[in-house]
This record gives sequence, structure tokens and C-alpha cells, in this order.
Amino acid sequence: MENMEAIPDVKEIAQHEGMKINLLETAKFKTSSISIFFHNILGMNSVTKNALLPAVMRRGTKSLPRFKDIARRLQEMYGATFDCGVLKKGDIQLIQFYIEFLSDKYIKKDTSLFDESLKLIFDIINEPLIENGGFVNDYLSQEKENLKRLINSRANDKVQYAVDKCFEEMGRDEPYGLYEYGNINDIGEIGPKELYGQYKNMLAAYPASIYITGDNDEKCIKDKSRMFSEIKRSNINEKALPGIVYEKREIREINEKMGVNQAKLSMGYRTNTAPGDEDYYAMLIYNGILGGGVNSKLFKNIREKSSLAYYVFSRMDKFKGLMVISSGIDGKNRKKVQDITNRQVEQMAKGNVSNAEFEDTVKTIETGIKSLKDNHLQIIDFYLGQDIANTRDSFESILEGIKAVNLDDVVRVAGKVELDTIYYLSRE
Amino acid sequence: MNFETIYFEIIDEKMHVYEHESGLKAFLIPKKGYYKKYAAVGVNYGSADNAFVIPGENQVTRVPDGVAHFLEHKLFEQKDGNVMDKFSRIGSNPNAYTAFNQTVYLFSATGLFIENFKLLLDFIQNPYITSESVENEKGIIGQEIRMYQDDPRWRVFFNLLNAFYAENPVRIDIAGSIDSIGEIDREILYKCYTTFYHPSNAVILTVGDVEPEEVFGEVEKKIINKNRQGKIKRIKPGREIKPVKKYIQQKLSVSLPVFQMGFMDNKSFKSSSDLLFHEMAVKILLELILGRSTGLYNRLYEEGLINSTFDADVTIEEDFAFSVFGGESPEPEKVRDKILNYIDTVKKNLDIKDFDRARKAMYGRFVRQFNSIEKIAHSFMSTYFKNYYLFDYFSAYDKINFEYAMDVLISHFNEESMALSVIKPV
Repeated sequence: MENMEAIPDVKEIAQHEGMKINLLETAKFKTSSISIFFHNILGMNSVTKNALLPAVMRRGTKSLPRFKDIARRLQEMYGATFDCGVLKKGDIQLIQFYIEFLSDKYIKKDTSLFDESLKLIFDIINEPLIENGGFVNDYLSQEKENLKRLINSRANDKVQYAVDKCFEEMGRDEPYGLYEYGNINDIGEIGPKELYGQYKNMLAAYPASIYITGDNDEKCIKDKSRMFSEIKRSNINEKALPGIVYEKREIREINEKMGVNQAKLSMGYRTNTAPGDEDYYAMLIYNGILGGGVNSKLFKNIREKSSLAYYVFSRMDKFKGLMVISSGIDGKNRKKVQDITNRQVEQMAKGNVSNAEFEDTVKTIETGIKSLKDNHLQIIDFYLGQDIANTRDSFESILEGIKAVNLDDVVRVAGKVELDTIYYLSRE
Repeated sequence: MNFETIYFEIIDEKMHVYEHESGLKAFLIPKKGYYKKYAAVGVNYGSADNAFVIPGENQVTRVPDGVAHFLEHKLFEQKDGNVMDKFSRIGSNPNAYTAFNQTVYLFSATGLFIENFKLLLDFIQNPYITSESVENEKGIIGQEIRMYQDDPRWRVFFNLLNAFYAENPVRIDIAGSIDSIGEIDREILYKCYTTFYHPSNAVILTVGDVEPEEVFGEVEKKIINKNRQGKIKRIKPGREIKPVKKYIQQKLSVSLPVFQMGFMDNKSFKSSSDLLFHEMAVKILLELILGRSTGLYNRLYEEGLINSTFDADVTIEEDFAFSVFGGESPEPEKVRDKILNYIDTVKKNLDIKDFDRARKAMYGRFVRQFNSIEKIAHSFMSTYFKNYYLFDYFSAYDKINFEYAMDVLISHFNEESMALSVIKPV
């Protein structure tokens, strides 16, 4: 179509001792952004401290020592958004810092919000407020309390909780089994100096990726991002790749009790497929046909035909080759829902998939992938995911990969899917 | 076919407007370079429309709670099967939502826009509801209701509305209750459909890289009903401005209390721009009183009384208007008292520099919304039936000055009109 401005791929423009700087140059969005991710393998000894780090670091820098100062600064920058936190992709814990601000075209005066934003995010990661050789004790003790509460309130969102718990249970013997916000019992002991030591280690040794998006030309960004080479880096950790476990295990059942009105049933499967495998695209389609959307087998059979649930879906974690099917149901219907789920999974393996189901799912996945390109944060997330999985797909190559799959491929990969864990949350 | 084009220079966006002979208006906000093409039909009919006089009749029709939402579910059912299947066949994602005053049907696609668009216009004009499918849907919606019963954020909000209002139907859950949906049948659904799903009571919006002639041409061809409809009289209780209860609580399985509180607004509006100015002023004031840059936020945070879930918002409609703010807190009542104290202080010495900064921040956040096709569409729909366009925010920003905000500060943030809703751990 005319005027269709293609989104260029994210491009690596510089490297500084294990810190990769990537640029997505585009004028499509009203805002520009800078995201910084530090990568580490989830570990018992580091996970909780890493979760505390961004929480404490966002409280103040040497030049903006109070949270209020940073908030005012952001208001002055036309309501720029700053956020930070941790996330999990496969076995990797990511510590993320992110700032988003209006592109210069939409502000009236001739300051550059880019320079101001870069300075602010850089100060937050490189110049945090320090007292007596450690983080500010008040900030730390407040954030420790906040983290305890955050971990405790994890189950407030029951839909999400039931999915995450099932994935975690499947990875219980791996780094993946750890919750990215850490362990409540480890919080108490962490002191300001110890956390500062962890910070130094993160800053010096964690592999890092920086993504810059917006209407900025490469040369200019390359110049400006030299700033990052001021960060002293040493003994940089090897970049880890998330591993996939292929062993066949006995099916485990976990029952959790809570005062809920609606029970949640999550069934976890091993797909025995890694994101770099030839089968990966076929597995994406498999997941889509089974439980991807309103046209999927599970939605049709559990919701539309049997009226047993409002929501039911299957979701894949590509990094670990796992899949969870989850629904919210009446406790008395548990067996029925489990039986229908088992039957639908069997149908897939037997090849009872129609051409229409296959083709519709392919189209839906294509729409989903193309749609990602309308959101700069999703574009970043896509490339970050490629980096972590050590794959080199672009949006176009995934679309091609999916096009090359046929129905037989889907039926073949269906044979690899094995039930591993059943997680059930209910009232009694 | 005639249409009008309006250009908004400040944000570099356009809007095309077309009016169908039935009175239906269609809008297109083009987004060059976007892959997604989005279209929606919004009907001026929501969960709060539970009593009305059908045009041409005299007596009031009252319907069970949750009918608008039930109808939203059932409309996807067509004579030749579920319309979802047809959308899937052409690779798009249809969806719908019901709010207090509107029901919106939408899809987003990356290809075959016109095919999808035709499908959307077809299915909203052709209901096919059978008694059997109504019964089947009761199980599904029943589970939807149960899901929300376990959602503390949803519960705390509706409990607050119940503390605010004695009569206004916004106090009722959008999906109704297990009992009320039990009363819904095929006849009730058709009656509401015929009353409210008239073209003149709806709006069509497209956002994306499509041509106006193409979209509007399809509207012209596809909208069958060309007659104008008489006015639907909606029976609304009078505007309530004092809460029924100052405090409401419920126990749920949460680890830390979840709370929401807010002020009921007492202003009556002479025009839609009056309403818009007022809404924007309350928004800026919330940022000035409760935003992250304020002394209050920082003190509450440092004392562990709030955490980063704390957030504020405002709803201003003709029949109901309130601000809402809250999050998680070990002691919600203490938070309430501190907020009330702080408001007294702010009323005495609001700083114009703080005001200007908050206003500037609001501008930036508003421009950012235009990154997202969904956000544009959502904002458009929620403002349209209030008789203004989302683009009007920009001109309003320039007109809201310090004095105006001071007046709103005095009238809106008033202890007597405040209520607190708390979800406590079991």
C-alpha cells in the first residue's frame, strides 16, 4: 500500500564491554524511548537483591536526591514517564530501566528532551544516591517493606497467579522456578552496603542491552550514547541461554486452597521444542489452534459448547518450551473441564484438525505479529526476546517461517506435547 | 458522498467526518504507517440504561440488570453461526465491551480491512437470538461474574459506587448478578436491541491507514435503516451529590487491604465544553494533590501507607461524576485522614508553579495516547457520547487557568462528598 512506512529493524549501533546499544529509528510514534536491561541468570542468592535494586535506585540520584525531585523533573519534561523493575524471560532475570518522552516535534521550545532523558536515566543507573558507602538506609528499609508486600499480594490477581504458578512448578528444579521478585525470607538480612555491592556487580558485570527508539539519526545517537562507556565494566558474566528440559516425568498435581469464588485450573505441558528449533513455528500454530483465541478448540468446546467457563486459553513460554492451559471454572465441573482439555489435546495429536482451523490460526498469528510493529515497546520486547533466546528472527522471517508450515507439521509436533503438571486453585 | 476533514496541527492528526441519512455519524482518524486497521461501532446504550420509554410508547420499560452486557455477548451469534468464526477466517480479532453508557463492538486487522468492516456492519444489524443460546450464555456470563467477584480492584470500585449512590444504576455491576441474568430472556434482549441499536443512536469509528472514501462508501451502502428514530426517553434518577455511606468494606482473599476513595462532584453543566473543562481541571488537581511529585504522595509513601499501586482518575458524566483514587495500604483510614488534611492545606496555598508543571505533564501524557490506535479509539468512544471529541482536550488545556482550577479545587474536593471503600483480607 502507498505511504506504508516500513518499520526498519532494530539495529545494533555500538558495543561497550558487554553493553549492546540498539537503535530503532522511526518517526512513526509521538514519543521516543530509552530502555536499559541488565541480564542475569535467576539465582537464589541474587534474585531478591536484584528485585530490590531498581526499587531503591529509583528513589534518588546524587543530583535529584528525593523521589519528589525526580517526579518534578519528569513533569517539567512534558510528563515524561520513567519506570523500572524486574522481569523474567526463561531462566533470565532482567533488571529494567525505562524512560519515554515526547519527540521534539511535539514540544514548543527548542530544548531536546532526548538529552534530558538520557541524562536522567543515566544518572539513575550510574549516580544513585549513596550514604556511608551504601544505599540510603531509609530508602532501603521502605523498599524492603514494599517488596515483602508485593510478594505477598501476588495472588491478588488470581487469573495471572494460576498461570504463573503452573509455569513455576514445571520449572521448580531450574532457575526458572524462582519468582522474579524473589523470596520473602531473604529480604530481612539485606543491608545498605550489601545491596550496594550487588549494585556494583550488576553495573560492572551483568550483560546489558540498551534500546533507543524514536526519530533520531544513527550518527547522533551513536555520539550521545558514548556516555555509557563512562560506566566501568569488568569481569563481565557470560551471556546465559535459557535451557529446555526434555526429560519425561510423572504427572504432578498441585492443589492450592484460597477463599475464592471461582476455581482456577491450570494444566502445564512440555512442548519439547526450543525457540531455535525447526519445529518452533509449527508449535506456535499448534498452540494457536488449541487455545490461542476465540476460534480455538478449547474456547469452542469448553466455553461455547459446554458453557463451563468465561475464559480459557493456552499460553506458551517459548524460552522454556512450556505451555499452560488455564481456565476459571466452577469447582464441581473440574473433572468435565479436565476431560475436555485432555480430549482436545488428543484430537490435536490424532490429526483431527480441519484446514479451516489451521488456516484461520495462521492468519490470526500473522495479524498478531504484524500488529506488534505498531508499538515501540513491543518491538523492543520482541528483539530482547530474540537476544535472550539466541535466535535471529525478524518480524518478516517469523512470518515466512509460519507460512512454510503445513498441517502435517502441526500434527507431527502435537506428538511431542506431554502433560507435566496440574495446578488447581480452589476454595476447599 | 460528502465528508468533512478537520486537521489538528498541534498534534499532526486528521479526522474525517461523514453523516449518513439516518443520522448516524462515521469518523476516520487516519494513522499512516500503522499496520493495524481498527474499526468500532459504538452504541449509546450501556449498563446504566435499565429504565426507558420506547419511542412511540407511553409507559416505562424496566429491564433486569446486565441486559446491555448480555446483548453484547449474544450479538456475535448469527443465523449461520458465530460471527467470530468469520472474523477468524480473515485473520482479525473481533471484540466488544460494555460500559455504563455505551456498548462498543470492534475489530483490528492488518489486511482485508473492507471485508472485516462489512462483517462488523452486518452483524450488528442482524441479531439472531434463540432461547437455547440465551440459556447457554447464562453459564458463561455466570463464570464472568464469578471471576470479577474474586477481583479486588473491580470489587473495591463497585463497592465505592455503592457507597456513593443510592439510586444511580452505575452502582450495579455491568454484567448484572447471577440472579438478574437468570431473568433475562430472548424477548427482553430483542426489545432492548430494537430500542437502542438504531443507527442514529450509534457511531462508527475507524482508526488506521485507510481511505475515507472507502470507509464512508461502505457505511452508505451497508446501513440499511435510513429512517430517523424518535427520542428514547431514558429514566434517570436525579443527580446524587452526597454519598449514602462514608465507608464501605468487604472481605476477600487479599494479603494487604485494597482501597479506593473519592469525591462525588456536585457541578451541573451548561454545555459539553463546560463538562470537559471541569473534567480536565479535576485531572490536573488530582496530579497536584496526589501525584508523585507532591509532598503528600511522598510522605504517605515514605511512611509505608501507600505503594506504587497508588493511582487517581476522574469520571465526569452528566448523570454521575466523581474522582477515584487508591491502591494498597495497611491503613486506608489513615490515608484518608491525611489526604483530607492535605487538601485543606492546598486549598489555602496552591502554588501556581506547581499548577503549570502539572498542566504541562498532562499535555505530554495526552499526546502520548496518540501512539496507540486502541487508546485513540477508546478515548474517542468515551468522549463522543458526551458530545465532544478527544481532540478538544488540546484547546481546553490552553483555557484552563489557575483561577478556574482554584474554583474547582474548592467545589470538588469537599469532605462531605467523600467516601472510602476498603477490601480487607479474610
